[in-house]
Amino acid sequence: MPAGNDYTVDEIMAVCIARRLSDEATVAQGIATPLVAAGYLLAKLMHAPNLRFASAIGQGICQDWAPLGLARTEALWLDKALTTVGFITVAADLLPRLHPIEYLRPAQIDAQGNFNNLAIGEDYWHPRMRLPGSGGIPDVSVVYNDMHLYVPRHSRAVFVARVDVVSGLGHSPARRRGRGPVYLLSDLGQFDWVDGRLRLFACHPGVTVERVVAKTGCELLIASDLAETPPPTAEELRLLREEIDPLGLRKLETLGGAARKALLREILAQEGAL
Amino acid sequence: MAVDRLVSLAEAAQTVHDGQTLALGGMTLYRRPVAFVRALLRRPDRPVGLTLLNFTAGYESDLLVGAGCIARTRTCYFGLEAFGLAPMFTEAATRGQVAVIEETEASLAMGIRAALSAVGFMPSRAWIGTDLPRLRPDVKTIIDPYSGEELMAFPAIPCDVAVIHALVADRQGNARLNRNLAIDCELAYLAGTVIVTAEEVVDRLTEDVDIAAPLTTMVAHAPRGAWPTSCHPLYPVAGGELLRYIDACASGEFDRYVQDFLKE
Repeated sequence: MPAGNDYTVDEIMAVCIARRLSDEATVAQGIATPLVAAGYLLAKLMHAPNLRFASAIGQGICQDWAPLGLARTEALWLDKALTTVGFITVAADLLPRLHPIEYLRPAQIDAQGNFNNLAIGEDYWHPRMRLPGSGGIPDVSVVYNDMHLYVPRHSRAVFVARVDVVSGLGHSPARRRGRGPVYLLSDLGQFDWVDGRLRLFACHPGVTVERVVAKTGCELLIASDLAETPPPTAEELRLLREEIDPLGLRKLETLGGAARKALLREILAQEGAL
Repeated sequence: MAVDRLVSLAEAAQTVHDGQTLALGGMTLYRRPVAFVRALLRRPDRPVGLTLLNFTAGYESDLLVGAGCIARTRTCYFGLEAFGLAPMFTEAATRGQVAVIEETEASLAMGIRAALSAVGFMPSRAWIGTDLPRLRPDVKTIIDPYSGEELMAFPAIPCDVAVIHALVADRQGNARLNRNLAIDCELAYLAGTVIVTAEEVVDRLTEDVDIAAPLTTMVAHAPRGAWPTSCHPLYPVAGGELLRYIDACASGEFDRYVQDFLKE
């Protein structure tokens, strides 16, 4: 779905991720989050040459980069790593020490910013659908001060009044350390939290407040000075399309069903891995 | 004369017994011991009631769940990354046919560190405030005797057999992995039986060894033994094969897929 005339929704999302990152930041890259990786690499090439990446694949820290790959993703996260330390050290030592900026993707989220990646359905023990699991979210979300979230397909199925299970901790009275998420990016706009309540502060170009509200199933505040996300520049689009992600992996996160499968096959064919 | 630990894959697969905890090395779609899984499923008496231990579980683990070998999964992620859900796990876990021991990166890391330190638990700030403690009533909390803070006491994680796929190993059991280490080096200390499968077996490795011979129980030669998962830099993820697997499961053809898989 094009968000405007000459760029797509994955591209404005990658641009939003990139623009928030400062030079010398350390960012973390989870599993199957190519849209986030595209944003990180865009920041590195635009304004943050000293950005460093901690990655789940390879469990190391990179400062150099390579274009995004699907079947050949290890050519980036292994071959470009400064060091690789294994997952035990990452989970027990590296993440608690470095508190990298990481974009986490909820399957469900509520207005407080509590989120769920474990199972859908009111009864966890008899779910409607089991999800892959929570990775390190219950570990980092209870201590981080600067948690970022993203939702590539904004819908009432994701933004719910009450999450079925809390695996990611939001602005909850149960919190002892850190704070709830500070920023959420979706395909419709940008959000933050005011006094622990979800607030829309910018719509992407062409998106109305009414549409965001209609697609949000939880309480939503609207900023009095609601802004419009500045569109991608020609140079940002060139870097994304030609340098960072010529195969188009970033689009996988905003597509579903047959379109997504077709893109997977197209990418694999170009990588010689079909 | 040095001990020769080289065995066939079929012999290595005989070491797994009903009800044991089996750990598979690598992560999700990378350097998974697929050839070992094939050897396990070729056994006329396939093991049942296994607890499957992974940092992240993918295709190789989904085959074992679909084949009915697994009673419990113990991982922080079970899926096929960008390719989608792990079909047999998703169905079995949704229906309650396999028990999910809910783990996270920290509970696995601290549980393994506890086992390696020969203590019953490791304390951590993870989980507190989330629903995870409710989903794992067996995991207790402890009061830090110095600060008074309540912490999770992640229990030591036991493991009977670990299988790790290597780029190259020697006959004594020295093995070289790649940089996507996952928890393989720790698994080699954790498990009672450590099986190394390797793309190539040589007489003697003398440097850059990730798993040293005294930790290894058996070595088996398994060329392309991680396929269709990757074995970087030798081969990438065979994405087309993963899509064929997903399509086969979606159309109820898991058993036929496994028949073909076992012929290879």
